[in-house]
Amino acid sequence: MAKQFLLRRSVFILAFFILAGLIYALGQDLSFPTDIIHLDTAVSQLPRYAVYSLMRMFLAYLLSFFFSIAYGYIAATSPKAEGPMVAFLDVLQSIPILGFFPVAVIFFVSLFNGSRIGVEVASIFLIFTSMSWNMAFSVYESFKTVPSDLVDAAGALGLSGWHCFSKALFPICIPRLIYSSMISWAGGWYFLIAAEIIAIGPVKHELPGLGSFLIHSTENGQVDRTILALLLLVGMIILFNLFVWQPLGVWSEKFRYEFSVSGPPRHSFSLLWYRKILATTQFRALRKLSFFTLSPLKKTITLFQRFGGKMTIIVIKGMGVLCLVAIFYAVSSHLIVFVEGFSKPFPIEIRNIPIAIGASFLRLVVAYILALSWTLPVAYWVGQSPPALKVVTPIAEIGAAIPAPALFPFIILFGIHVMGGMNAAAILLILTGMQWYLLFNLLGGVQNIPADLKEVARSLGLSRWHAFRRLFLPAVFPALITGSITAWGGGWNALIVSEYLIYRHEIHSVTGIGAMLDQAIYESGDAQMILITLLSMILTITLLNRFFWRKLYVYALGHFKIEY
Amino acid sequence: MNFIEVQKVFKFFQQDRVLMPVLKEISFKVHEGEFIALVGPSGCGKSTLLRLLTGLVLPTEGSVLYKGKSLTSVNLDSAMVFQSFALFPWLTVMGNVEVGLEARGLSEEMRHKRAAEFIDKVGLDGFEEAYPRELSGGMKQRVGLARALAVEPKLLCMDEPFSALDPLTSLALREEVLMMWEDHTMAVNTIIMVTHMIEEAVLMADRVLVLSPRPGTFLADIKIDLPRPRDKKDVRVNEISDQIFSLMAR
Ligand SMILES: Nc1ncnc2c1ncn2[C@@H]1O[C@H](COP(=O)(O)OP(=O)(O)O)[C@@H](O)[C@H]1O
Ligand SMILES: [Mg+2]
Repeated sequence: MAKQFLLRRSVFILAFFILAGLIYALGQDLSFPTDIIHLDTAVSQLPRYAVYSLMRMFLAYLLSFFFSIAYGYIAATSPKAEGPMVAFLDVLQSIPILGFFPVAVIFFVSLFNGSRIGVEVASIFLIFTSMSWNMAFSVYESFKTVPSDLVDAAGALGLSGWHCFSKALFPICIPRLIYSSMISWAGGWYFLIAAEIIAIGPVKHELPGLGSFLIHSTENGQVDRTILALLLLVGMIILFNLFVWQPLGVWSEKFRYEFSVSGPPRHSFSLLWYRKILATTQFRALRKLSFFTLSPLKKTITLFQRFGGKMTIIVIKGMGVLCLVAIFYAVSSHLIVFVEGFSKPFPIEIRNIPIAIGASFLRLVVAYILALSWTLPVAYWVGQSPPALKVVTPIAEIGAAIPAPALFPFIILFGIHVMGGMNAAAILLILTGMQWYLLFNLLGGVQNIPADLKEVARSLGLSRWHAFRRLFLPAVFPALITGSITAWGGGWNALIVSEYLIYRHEIHSVTGIGAMLDQAIYESGDAQMILITLLSMILTITLLNRFFWRKLYVYALGHFKIEY
Repeated sequence: MNFIEVQKVFKFFQQDRVLMPVLKEISFKVHEGEFIALVGPSGCGKSTLLRLLTGLVLPTEGSVLYKGKSLTSVNLDSAMVFQSFALFPWLTVMGNVEVGLEARGLSEEMRHKRAAEFIDKVGLDGFEEAYPRELSGGMKQRVGLARALAVEPKLLCMDEPFSALDPLTSLALREEVLMMWEDHTMAVNTIIMVTHMIEEAVLMADRVLVLSPRPGTFLADIKIDLPRPRDKKDVRVNEISDQIFSLMAR
């Protein structure tokens, strides 16, 4: 009982702190620090910048990791909270990273009184927003599919609390969590530039990092520096892939809960190394140490489990309070905008919004078709010869992680000078934000095609076309839809780095909602415009999701799900 | 000329960067019209051997001859039945049976007629438009059987076809498979079946091939000259079962 009371109190204390912080932040003048952070663009700084960016990414990832597990778990296990939480996540997912700028700037920067820390925290928060939603979704979906016989077995074995969570529930979500982590990590790099330059209107903070360095070099048209920074980035991604994602991916295979999987097991040389290191005595000592740091976490989760029913209510209440706070915050911070914005006439540019959305939509359609036309054959090829995965995955990871602005010089060269026009360049850039999500999901889908179905196709002598139509396409259809949803989300988000770009001090832009948002944030800083463009964008995306993609997804699950 | 001849076949699989032997120097012959059972402990390479016989998997060393010719790709005169049924969940019963016929370029009308005929033969008349998820395990395996038989293969390979079924269902299905094998109007007259149940092998097959634990080597080739239908209470059935059992237990 006492423990429960403590928990309840801690939820309220947390809410109180957030509230206090908000009021404090709002009380501040919404002004930037006077000492603007300047970027030293010497090439010798590059290694240091790479480390800074990596640290930001890492902290943001850590946050995303815990956030996604907590959010996914609560959403999947408390029926009352599920609907609103999933809907909320849907909306969050559709907000482009620039949409979080006002929050990041007004809240974090003002909270820390405009100091460097505030800007850093804001940057980490922005990276977090580009990583966590997709991870939270996959945790949620994994928990939803925990086989009930497994839960029964865990119950029968007397597992409860932390043990049940860590032995029976959590392992189920490991494969998908790791896979989506890999994608999110790449997404973090992709939007790094947007996250390292914190700006509203003319005031601009450029945090020392790879992203800032990249944007500087492209704005100045220094292609050699762009290439240098790009090489460094690619090098880091390759190392990270070899030493983190690959061993984790191989390790996660053993948590797959499947009836029949055959075929050669994957392997990773670094995983073999780690296993050797794990067996040494020094490491055992380290392990003991980590036990002490982990046990408080275990205790809270055990507590949470034990008071299952009551805890859910408390959590829901806590969430309710937090939501109220969020609404209060949103309303008050935008109060000025609302009062000013809706009493004073709307800016004339508002009339352009429907056309801008239409133009952006058309670009997305073209980019989507382009993306489909190459990812489907590649996924099919990987399905036919699984070793190809070893080549395709790293390429996709690198491709997905290269920030769009780093490609400006090449895309402008190719798009504007070869293909004739900024529209072509914009579509190519949108493609960079769309295609990899599609590919990642298709690859995931193709790997889940049961080996026996593939054998049937071969033994019946299906031709390539028949195997594609009768086996591959239906089998990957659910993954295709999930991939399309993510790709479209990524595409809408990528608009902000695709429709408006600065190269050699020259602004290239096209009519589109992304360009409008960029202009509102980077040029005018007009809060009213920011709010209105943002809202219309979110509305479009959410409506499309609700009335098109969700329906298609439900249909796909009903007709094409492989179950045994 | 032999129907199938396996000549000194070795099979290795890559596992964690080392080549693991799965099958070691396997040689035997299969005559047309025989019913052969492959038995051995789990993991000894029975499924792999079956796939070698259909050309789904190619040997590392040695060769598999079909009608005197070495197999270099899938043998389209063969068809497979799987323990897991392996039905396409997005296709109806009819669709599943038609897939192989479509691959052989039959016209839509012909496909339909032939598929309906085989669905009828396995006793699923009336379920043409049902989806696999709506069927029981036994019915699913009947669809698997119909799909394999519809392409009129000379050789039918079955990988533990009755293991996922309850005892009564598998009993009934065994009888039907034997009946179809003895039915001379059907194209198929040679059957090779993998099983881990010795009794099942003795009750059904003409010859039982016994493999040793992994890496699988050839232990014995046992002829079963008992008249059909066989009874599992028959002393001779029990004798042969015991003999195979003691071979494997060694
Ligand atoms: N494609 C493959 N790659 C690597 N190893 C395999 C592959 N297929 C089967 N194996 C291995 O070969 C061994 C024999 O498998 P299998 O033929 O399925 O045995 P059985 O059917 O007798 O149980 C098993 O240890 C299995 O892990
Ligand atoms: Mg087997």
